[in-house]
Amino acid sequence: MHHLAFFVMLGAVLVMAGLLLDVVREGLPHLTWQFLTSAPKERGEGGGIGPEIVNTIVMVGGAMIVTAPLGLLVGMSQVEWRPPHAVVSVFDQVRATWLSIPSVVLGFLVYRVAIAWWHWPLSVVTGVLALCVMNWPMMVSVAVTALRNVPATYREASWALGATRSQTVRRVVLPAALGELINGWGWAMARLAGESAALIMTAGLNVSTHWSAWGPGETLAVYIWYVRTEGYGARGSGVAAATALTLMLLIALILWVSGRLSDWRQHPGR
Amino acid sequence: MAPTIRTEHLSVSYHRTPVLHQISLEAAGGEVLALIGPSGCGKSTFLRALNRLVEETPGARVEGRVYLGNMNIYAPSVDVTQLRRRVGMVFQAPNPFPFSIFDNVAYGPRLHGVTDAGELRRIVERSLQEAALWDEVRGKLRRPALTLSGGQQQRLCIARALAVDPEVLLLDEPTAALDPLSTEKIEELIANLRGRYTIVMVTHNLRQAARISDRTAFFAEGRLVEVGWTRQMFTAPQDPRTEQYLTGRYQP
Amino acid sequence: MRDQQREKVIQSVTWGLGGIFVLLGFGLMAMVLVGAWPTLAEPHALARLLSPTWDPMRDQWGLLPFLLGTAVVTCLALAIVVPLALATGISISRMLPWSLRPQAVRLLAALTAIPSVVFGWWGLETVVPAVRILGGQAGFSLLAAAIVLALMLWPTLGFLFAEALMKVPRSYVEASAALGASDDQTLVRILIPSAWPQLMNAFLVAVARGLGETVAVQMVIGGQVAMPAGLLSPGATLTTQLLTDATLFPPGTRGHAALDAMALALLAAMGLLVRLSARWQGQP
Ligand SMILES: Nc1ncnc2c1ncn2[C@@H]1O[C@H](COP(=O)(O)OP(=O)(O)OP(=O)(O)O)[C@@H](O)[C@H]1O
Ligand SMILES: [Mg+2]
Repeated sequence: MHHLAFFVMLGAVLVMAGLLLDVVREGLPHLTWQFLTSAPKERGEGGGIGPEIVNTIVMVGGAMIVTAPLGLLVGMSQVEWRPPHAVVSVFDQVRATWLSIPSVVLGFLVYRVAIAWWHWPLSVVTGVLALCVMNWPMMVSVAVTALRNVPATYREASWALGATRSQTVRRVVLPAALGELINGWGWAMARLAGESAALIMTAGLNVSTHWSAWGPGETLAVYIWYVRTEGYGARGSGVAAATALTLMLLIALILWVSGRLSDWRQHPGR
Repeated sequence: MAPTIRTEHLSVSYHRTPVLHQISLEAAGGEVLALIGPSGCGKSTFLRALNRLVEETPGARVEGRVYLGNMNIYAPSVDVTQLRRRVGMVFQAPNPFPFSIFDNVAYGPRLHGVTDAGELRRIVERSLQEAALWDEVRGKLRRPALTLSGGQQQRLCIARALAVDPEVLLLDEPTAALDPLSTEKIEELIANLRGRYTIVMVTHNLRQAARISDRTAFFAEGRLVEVGWTRQMFTAPQDPRTEQYLTGRYQP
Repeated sequence: MRDQQREKVIQSVTWGLGGIFVLLGFGLMAMVLVGAWPTLAEPHALARLLSPTWDPMRDQWGLLPFLLGTAVVTCLALAIVVPLALATGISISRMLPWSLRPQAVRLLAALTAIPSVVFGWWGLETVVPAVRILGGQAGFSLLAAAIVLALMLWPTLGFLFAEALMKVPRSYVEASAALGASDDQTLVRILIPSAWPQLMNAFLVAVARGLGETVAVQMVIGGQVAMPAGLLSPGATLTTQLLTDATLFPPGTRGHAALDAMALALLAAMGLLVRLSARWQGQP
């Protein structure tokens, strides 16, 4: 049985490797400096994905800047300034449920509120709002897990020396939790960078010639989708593969940097 | 001169379950008072009531009074942070922060507003010397505290407690997690600190209580059964339960 | 005393934010419910919602094709991926040399970060043509969607299974081996039963991701709103229909309410999964 399992796994690994090879094989020839820096073209040769790279970075960064501190504070409210048990349990359920809502549903709700009711345009800002709604419960979960993993004895030792709760949080708990927080933030950013469903409805399917926060905000992931479903024909697959390759390298970079930072926080001096 | 610490009818309950009943006990200034008793009888709870750390436990309720000198520490006007500065605590398992050795010891003084680097260095050195750790860590103060051995970590925790100039030291089974050699070092250290600090120490090691304490209090099932001079208690206990415990025949 | 006041303020601020978070969470769910209300309040609501015809031109808003699409694609994908992932978990936790295990787990974890749109792209490249050859039709089909979804779920589920199996204390395995059990016996009688709660939880995570996946499925499923005739015929799921129609019906229209009803169905399923997984974690 064990050997059977091994061969079955090998099969899955081969298929997955095939996928990655396909992306590289089809994408690499298109991946030129010019492709990475110029704007996309609907027809003809020579389009690129420069604006999409910028949008992806700006929107993921924007959503993180807004939701990481908010998530940390909300997480602290539950772990460090612990309300009664019943409150914590309601809170945990809301967090788990919100986290489980498919991103397409959240995008749909943001579309209704921001675009239909408030008349915001399909734009970078609206997309960031959608990513924030997706990411807030994620940030809260990351914070709650990291804070709960800080040993209670650290807090006790600090209180016993006359530290207040907020002093303990700032000087002991946060430094001790930072490594795990950074790690969780890295994975959350990877997830945001790969998001497409919610952004198709809120950020739009094109880019403007002059970048603006209220201009359309197509990201790399959305561009891949657009090129392969709505966009032009024959050349599409290679362009999509090159975009996918870029996106995956970007995500790998995010994970690598956050992983290194996190390791360094958790085992200083190594 | 170190102050006395005295409880009057101190009762503690967790979620309405009483754990300590009407404890009236005094540790005189500068003496070492040992608390012994079977597991779960409330020794740690008693200790944690003396610096109000018990209040941080959800569902804990405290009744009665605790006097440090002649101040009732549960009076509404008392500033808990100031109180805990005067009453230091060391825990059963060594719990240094995941910082450097220096930052561990400097943690308390920094909290209370010491920022001058020279003064911090003086405080750290003095505390480490008092905790008999200085010779082993000098020149390595920037190393992570978690690289120290268990016994060294526990002495570091004692140094950390001493760095805020407490008057009372509460020790909760400080050698429970340590090897015999480290235990001996800590016992020596406590003997040296005696007189300068009022020390209340929980221990499961009866010989340890006999070796280093002036007086011993025996707790059972949340009540104070007997308290007296250590030598007297170990040779001629008054209460039959104490005798049973000391001879290993106690059954709750 | 100043200190204590400051502490009170800080506590109020964090609790206030926590309150806002919970309210917003409830608000999102309430928005879906309120939005779907017109479809629920009309006469014969259930029959109309469960009808097999979705025809906006003729005011027919039956969700059955999508409910069925979601159910079929998710179940089929799980049927493919669970054995694959279990084999992966077993191989990593029991067969790979010790030194390779952490690397293998990290590799799987890294694969979970591949965006779903990349799987959709691969589905168009590889799976759809293969199904076309196999079935003779367009290739865009429930089957293609399930295969793409299965490959997408494989790293996640394999990772979680491997973690669950590796968490079983070594002493159990050694005790079983010391009693003369073979590797297979130990696996079936000790490892899988002791890891059961974690394995179940991992499974529920996969179910949730499968139900909620949108783009990868949408790219290969064909987007046909009629009842699918078989696995090889095109179809649609709740999420793919939500994606393609969200901007079609403005708020206030009957179509918009029908989309909310789809969202509500997804929320209900997710709520159920959250409950189940809390049960497996031993929480109330
Ligand atoms: N946080 C808590 N919540 C509820 N009950 C508690 C809590 N902490 C301790 N107790 C209970 O209070 C009683 C006394 O506990 P305490 O820790 O003071 O005992 P102890 O004498 O220090 O025991 P040991 O020698 O094992 O350390 C025990 O019955 C314990 O179960
Ligand atoms: Mg104890």
